[in-house]
Amino acid sequence: MTTLTRLLGSSALLASTLLASQVLSAEPITILINTSPWYGGFEALVEKYEADTGNKVNIDAVPLGGLLEKARNAVRGPSGEYDIINLSNAWAVEFYAGNYLTALTDIDPTFSFGDNIIDADGMLYWNKDRQWPTKDGGVPMAFSPNANTHLWYYRTDQIEKPPETWDDVLKTCQTKGDAANYSVVLRGARGNPIRFAFSTFMLSFGGSIEKDAPNGDFTVTFNSPEVKRALQLYIKLAKECGPPNPGSIDQGEMIQYIVAGKVKQAGIVVAAQAQMDDPEKSAVVGKIGYAVMPRPADGENKDVWGSWQMGIPANVSAGRKEAAMEFIKYFLTDEAQTYYAEAGGIPVSRTVLEGPLSEQEKFRWMKPYSQASLNAKQVLQYPEGAEIEQIIGLRLNQALIGELSVNEALNTAATEIHDVFVRSGRKTGLLPPLQ
Amino acid sequence: MATILVSKRPVTDSAPPQSVVSSRRTRLLDLFDRHFRLITIAPAALLILSLTVAPVIELVRMAGARISFTNDGVQRTAALAENISRLANDWIYWRALLNTLAFVVTSTFAELVLGLMLALAAQRMTRGKGVVRTLMLMPILIPPVAIGNMWRLMYNPEFGIIAYVVDQIAGVRLDMLGSTSTALLAVIIVDVWHWTPFMFLILLAGLEGLPEEVIQASHVDGASSLQRLRFVVLPMLWPAIAIAFVFRSIGAFKVFDQIYLLTSGGPGVSTEVLSLYVFKVFFQSNELGYGALLSLVTIAIVCGYLAVFRIAQRRKGTL
Repeated sequence: MTTLTRLLGSSALLASTLLASQVLSAEPITILINTSPWYGGFEALVEKYEADTGNKVNIDAVPLGGLLEKARNAVRGPSGEYDIINLSNAWAVEFYAGNYLTALTDIDPTFSFGDNIIDADGMLYWNKDRQWPTKDGGVPMAFSPNANTHLWYYRTDQIEKPPETWDDVLKTCQTKGDAANYSVVLRGARGNPIRFAFSTFMLSFGGSIEKDAPNGDFTVTFNSPEVKRALQLYIKLAKECGPPNPGSIDQGEMIQYIVAGKVKQAGIVVAAQAQMDDPEKSAVVGKIGYAVMPRPADGENKDVWGSWQMGIPANVSAGRKEAAMEFIKYFLTDEAQTYYAEAGGIPVSRTVLEGPLSEQEKFRWMKPYSQASLNAKQVLQYPEGAEIEQIIGLRLNQALIGELSVNEALNTAATEIHDVFVRSGRKTGLLPPLQ
Repeated sequence: MATILVSKRPVTDSAPPQSVVSSRRTRLLDLFDRHFRLITIAPAALLILSLTVAPVIELVRMAGARISFTNDGVQRTAALAENISRLANDWIYWRALLNTLAFVVTSTFAELVLGLMLALAAQRMTRGKGVVRTLMLMPILIPPVAIGNMWRLMYNPEFGIIAYVVDQIAGVRLDMLGSTSTALLAVIIVDVWHWTPFMFLILLAGLEGLPEEVIQASHVDGASSLQRLRFVVLPMLWPAIAIAFVFRSIGAFKVFDQIYLLTSGGPGVSTEVLSLYVFKVFFQSNELGYGALLSLVTIAIVCGYLAVFRIAQRRKGTL
């Protein structure tokens, strides 16, 4: 073989390699995401994806407070800079209904999530005819990087077995002489914090905000006897068993109380588990157990989703959409989900949540979370949801701090929610006021 | 020379005679001279007007509508009466207005008094005045986000230094942000800590600019320290005080970040202020039309407040 032949051969090989890499590797994509506690796991998985595939992913990680406006601005223009945007379940409907996202099956008609992926009560789908997020007749619009619901965190060194009912929680509250200052801490700050946390109580007592919203009946049921029982219990637990002034306690304070060893138990979102066993952040390493949220003695275990959805904006090129789709498919594989969990993320694959990883002490939260995911429901899945959340979040907070009685708070909230539905032309009505 | 140049131009039947050209030019020059200031200012004025008036006009348009976004574009539905009716019955907005006024008056007054006291003390210093001035700048330089988090931690009833100190002294666990009776006071304290240095710097500059001979004369006339302050220093310092007061009032009206971080308007509505509420309506509830109306009313309230202050100052003859 002559030098010239070798040179020509090498050149041809190099050229074909370059050409192949151009054809095979996907376009670079950019993901808009919030810096939540599980972000570290997501970032690690993105790095692994880049290493495994050679595809390039840029991340724009912003504080939660700025995420919504950035997402709105990104999708409203003729062309967008983000190929995947992360959305809270409180906002996702706005983006689905506004046709701002591309259905995943429009990019890859063969795509489906499979039965092992948590779909957060159908929040990953959109039924255009019914204008409702549901798997029934809906198309997949997004995937979830963290479906996110509550777990009951409890001190295994102070509580023998996790409470099954709210009565069990009240009993621990009356036990004195333990190391922890308080029995339970609840999220009471105005707005989303108390609305989200209280929803679990409300659902477990059989309460609801509206009668049958998925089927168009928006009769307000927020001042029903079931919701009243739930709120009475919530206030009792917060005031009699928890720290003073519960009306200003948000998730950050709850986590502080738990990791500082000042409280025996709390209902906190699953993502907070990562901090419990971190010796640099926690004084209760290895002492926290996890269970599904308690239920009323005569009720069911229920929970509420605070899910995150990642969708592909409609205003990006076909090539970028396909590249984003490649990432989504990778993210949902069991291998990636396992790596994600090990790196601090919250997997959405039940195969992983109930697989060998869940037997490890570090991942003792996985099985309860998988169980909780079966109990959880979505609430406020309509465009008026954000406004109604503000109403509920204020009135519940006022009841908690004693500015309004339980009846006043629920009756007032119901009337205000009714006004919102009337304004938006919904078929609605009101229950008789609570006496 | 000019005549020769003009005469060299080709003369046509339609060309005006030279005397007409000359008089037209003179008139143009006269016009330019007479309106020189207007003409030179006009481009900048037009630019400023387009940057300020145009958004307000858009805000007015939005205020009369219900607005929704879809991929097909912005959809506006006329809803002026509906928005006005909502505003009239929106008790949270009116409560936010009261909270804002309480916040503005209390914090600005406290900052003024403290700033003046510090400025008077610093003026007498013969050494280290520069160091004091630099140190006093620190709170202004700290980002509001850091201030919010720092004070939130300090106020924490379990872990905070304030609660700890009060507990040691009085045996009470103080939770200033968690109680409706103390939450507004708590955020006012943070604002006073943050902005007193601003007052201090303006008033110190004002004090240092006062004519020394007048103060010396009052000293020779036997005025006591208090009399000198009351009858000599404060009247001469009044313009600086007024400017500082107006600037801080405007800033206090716009307070947002520290309340957002410390209380988000709670507990209940005890710390709800105008900016925060408008933000919630605009960005959290996504009600752009109603949010625009709230913004307009808020702008009108701030303008009204400043107008009242200006009238008062004119009567006093200091502005």
